[in-house]
Amino acid sequence: MSETMNFIDQATTFVSSHESQSKTQWLADFRLQQQTRFSQNQWPTRKTENWKYTSLNALQQANFNQPSQASSTIDESAYAIENLNAQTLVFVDGVFDATRSQLDIDSNASVCLFSEANEKQQALIQNYLGKASGNSSNIFTHLNGSLTHDGLLIHVAKGQTASPIHVVHYASSQTQAATAQSRHLFVVEDNAQAAVIEHFASVESNGNSLFNQLTEIELGNNAHLHHYRLHLEDEQMIHLGAMHANLQRDAQLNSFHLALGGKIKRIDIEVNYQGSGAHSDVNGVYLTKNRQHVDYHTNMEHAVPHCTTSEVFRGIMDDNSKAVFNGRIHIHPQAQKTLAELSNKNLLLSNKAEINTKPELEIYADDVRCAHGATVSQMDNNALFYLLSRGISREEAERMLSFGFINELIDGVKHEAIGAYLRPVIAELFGNQQHLAECDL
Amino acid sequence: MTDVINERIESDYKAGFVTDVETDTIPPGLNEDVIRTISAKKGEPEWLLEWRLKAFAVWKEMQEPEWAHLKYPKVEFDKVSYYSAPKSMEDKPKSLDEVDPELLKTYEKLGIPLHEQAILAGVAVDAVFDSVSVATTFRDKLEEAGVIFCPISEAVHKYPDLIKKYLGSVVPQKDNFYAALNCAVFSDGSFVYIPKGVRCPMELSTYFRINEAKTGQFERTLIVADEGSYVSYLEGCTAPMRDENQLHAAVVELVAMKDAEIKYSTVQNWYPGDAEGKGGIYNFVTKRGICHQNAKISWTQVETGSAITWKYPSVVLKGDNSIGEFYSVALTNNYQQADTGTKMIHLGKNTRSTIISKGISAGKSQNAYRGLVRMNPGAENARNYTQCDSLLIGDQCGAHTFPYIESKHPAAVVEHEATTSKVSDDQLFLCQQRGIEPEKAVSMIVNGFCKEVFKELPMEFAVEAGKLLEVSLEGSVG
Amino acid sequence: MLTIENLHANVDDKAILKGLNIEVKPGEVHAIMGPNGAGKSTLGNVLSGRDGYEVTQGKAFLSGKEILELEPEERAGEGLFLAFQYPVEIPGVSNLEFLKASMDAIRKYRGEEEIDSVSFMKLAREKCKAVNLDQNFLKRGVNEGFSGGEKKRNEIMQMMMLEPKMCILDETDSGLDIDALQVVAQGVNSLRSPDRSFVVVTHYQRLLDFIVPDYVHVLADGKIVKSGGKELALELEEKGYGWIEGEVA
Repeated sequence: MSETMNFIDQATTFVSSHESQSKTQWLADFRLQQQTRFSQNQWPTRKTENWKYTSLNALQQANFNQPSQASSTIDESAYAIENLNAQTLVFVDGVFDATRSQLDIDSNASVCLFSEANEKQQALIQNYLGKASGNSSNIFTHLNGSLTHDGLLIHVAKGQTASPIHVVHYASSQTQAATAQSRHLFVVEDNAQAAVIEHFASVESNGNSLFNQLTEIELGNNAHLHHYRLHLEDEQMIHLGAMHANLQRDAQLNSFHLALGGKIKRIDIEVNYQGSGAHSDVNGVYLTKNRQHVDYHTNMEHAVPHCTTSEVFRGIMDDNSKAVFNGRIHIHPQAQKTLAELSNKNLLLSNKAEINTKPELEIYADDVRCAHGATVSQMDNNALFYLLSRGISREEAERMLSFGFINELIDGVKHEAIGAYLRPVIAELFGNQQHLAECDL
Repeated sequence: MTDVINERIESDYKAGFVTDVETDTIPPGLNEDVIRTISAKKGEPEWLLEWRLKAFAVWKEMQEPEWAHLKYPKVEFDKVSYYSAPKSMEDKPKSLDEVDPELLKTYEKLGIPLHEQAILAGVAVDAVFDSVSVATTFRDKLEEAGVIFCPISEAVHKYPDLIKKYLGSVVPQKDNFYAALNCAVFSDGSFVYIPKGVRCPMELSTYFRINEAKTGQFERTLIVADEGSYVSYLEGCTAPMRDENQLHAAVVELVAMKDAEIKYSTVQNWYPGDAEGKGGIYNFVTKRGICHQNAKISWTQVETGSAITWKYPSVVLKGDNSIGEFYSVALTNNYQQADTGTKMIHLGKNTRSTIISKGISAGKSQNAYRGLVRMNPGAENARNYTQCDSLLIGDQCGAHTFPYIESKHPAAVVEHEATTSKVSDDQLFLCQQRGIEPEKAVSMIVNGFCKEVFKELPMEFAVEAGKLLEVSLEGSVG
Repeated sequence: MLTIENLHANVDDKAILKGLNIEVKPGEVHAIMGPNGAGKSTLGNVLSGRDGYEVTQGKAFLSGKEILELEPEERAGEGLFLAFQYPVEIPGVSNLEFLKASMDAIRKYRGEEEIDSVSFMKLAREKCKAVNLDQNFLKRGVNEGFSGGEKKRNEIMQMMMLEPKMCILDETDSGLDIDALQVVAQGVNSLRSPDRSFVVVTHYQRLLDFIVPDYVHVLADGKIVKSGGKELALELEEKGYGWIEGEVA
């Protein structure tokens, strides 16, 4: 207990020491307000409902050291996606790296760091920063806010269609545990379209390095965002991140999530329906092995009528690993005619692996159709026999079925370049690259 | 059509009368002396007093749980009286003829005649009035079969070894806040023991009645089914209509030994409060059973009463191949709130559990299912199937589902499904067009929705449950 | 090719096959007919080694090798192919990767080289065409969202790709319209050769108009109760299974 207090003390000290060296004074009010909320928050324990299955003990060893100079040997192959045709922004340990970024592709989007925002961009940031995550009770959201001296704004103006933007966060090898953070704000205005890939990568970070990333998304009327959040960092990382989105009338969000396990990976996903007719497809995959831990908490806030949610998460847990899924659908009294469906399926591959899942419905309106389903199971024996009867070995058949279980979601990914990038990554995880990835006709 | 549903009329709680008897009620408040007084009134042995005091010490250190989806003013435990009994019971009547006729009349009015000639054949009844059992029927017949069915306060004296062995063995004193409170102050309840290989020749039933104002009822039930035995047990509860809230904190423990089966059915119809949410029972109940090898425990509950319900009948599936079942209908109307469900803890191999929960919310009520399915590392080939359906009647109420699934075995299968729906205008219109009035139509639709659960109830109860739903729904449709 | 001797098998401790004998020589087509519940589908499942089908007595040899002790995938490697009555859907695993994995495994079992991707694709497209399946089916999940007829054609397509020596068709005709039936039959007929044999399990004579058998056996109560030439099928069609049951009794 005392050590966790140390973490807060340390964080608090860090927060205040940072305040003095700020470059962006116009953000100060926001930070101040976030600091107040940070200090009002209780440190989560296992008795805190939202942290029931995720222990923060590992944080006791975390440290508020800033990362030292990034090592020059950054493995660019760890995040390159072929045929994506995207603008690429690379951040190393939370700091923008212009030399590795590629911004020359004409994209119809305006992209800037908060610290370099022009007047118009500043106005946008001031208007939207902290809005989508405003109802979060997660202490790390406010820690992030307290430390927001810079960030990334992606803005797509009314009616524009932007080409994909690939935002890479690379954690470099560090000699000692370090803490970095980042903040994204995506504003897609009325009738505009965009695609953003948030990509977290590292080759070998230092144990107990903590990364705290918060993304806020604002979709205007009839705006459409394809969003991907890929957590492919190595298993030493601790990541406490979140995505919060506000959807206005007829807005559409397609959000795809993937996480390989880490020491702790906890990602909160929240969609706030603020205009009727909005829709979101939120799909996700978590794959853990060794002693890894992944925790997804999703929350669909249906506050207005006629919105729809389709949510599918699947996970495979092996070895001593553990995954947590908590999917909440909250229908407010005004949100009549809501359609919301959630499915969560899990496979356990070892008798030391563990899954804790809790799909929740909280419904205060009667004319709605909501359903959720959750399963924990083994492979389908009929499918297994079918493969065996065609001569495929048991081991291979099990790999194929595990991969297929996940691949169903990858197949739903809109950008084929991302599917093509992910398939071999996942196939490798199941120990096979031969057949699984190649499907070209 | 929706307007029709919204228009509410006064609901009719038929068990809301008060019986006028002289009582021995101890003053409100809770301390060690109160516990000593209760224990002394029951002439308990020293070990049981110690057991109570230990529970009280634990309780004082505990916090009232706040995780449930319930909002209510906290209970002022100092303002509750923890023991009340009709004076006429002090002389310990030897037979029904000696029991105060007022008490017998009470049960007759509730439809539970205690004179054996008037009784439903095949059901033995233990009638508990506030803190004491007033009568237990058919005891001789049961004794012939070797079945013990008596008030737990009597069992403490007659079967001390069984009580010592099993009391608190399933729900320990420190289990939770309300269970600890019950351990400290429990008054009466039923004790059942079915010997090896015996199939209990009749349904056993306990009818709980709260009568006295400002008192709580803290009954305790213990059922032990020895190897290869079978028993079906029914429980019913009512209370008068009063403006203040009354506390009911019960503990039920079931032990199903190897190859035994216990079927436990409840029709809970405590006073739910009036249409404005005034009064009603606070129902905080801990019910749990343990299954040894090949044993089966089946909980069936129809919960229509109480202002607040906090209740999770659970099964610990300890023995290999054991089976746990939970069938529940929970109906809330007006300002009622329920947070109810079950826990299925799978420890043994090939254990099976089934959960069917039907929640119906009407008026301004809140109805939550909360369940836990846990597959422990030993639960090889264990299976669970859970289905939670919610039905909303009107747009002022809430229906919630909080299922916790924890699995630590790759060869255990858990399946959970939940849906929510409403009584649709189309359904109502069809019924009306065929000449059925809306209130009847809603009750038909609700009954259909609950069918899967009702078929698990013993016959007499199934009929009663159906009627009860109809009464409880009164006012949800105009 | 396939010799079954006194085969007894249980499902859920209930005896289904009760002493079945059959001898299939290379190049022959045998039809097994019988009423519902006679054990027709059990035969295919037992031979291919499905879990839950317990052999209590008897032996089965494929080209002289005893197969009942082998794993299902080893039996496939030996050249046994079961065309399923109800092919399972496997979402997320594409037909193509499934076929490639299967071909590779069987070739490896036989000690042959893996087929290269180009030849494989060429072959797959060709066989698709042969059973009148759109090539897009190759990209989709195994049997995922296929109609009944498409699933059966997919079975035949797999059979063509894998070139087994002993094919068992388990009620492949059930639920097929006449056009689909002809496509399936053509596929099977194109595979007939002196070193490949078929056991066609069916309830109806109709399929045998298109796949003409050398022998017809009647399976009732777990045993072959009558054998004959292709004319037996016609007789059965005319008189119904009651006739056989009556005759045997």
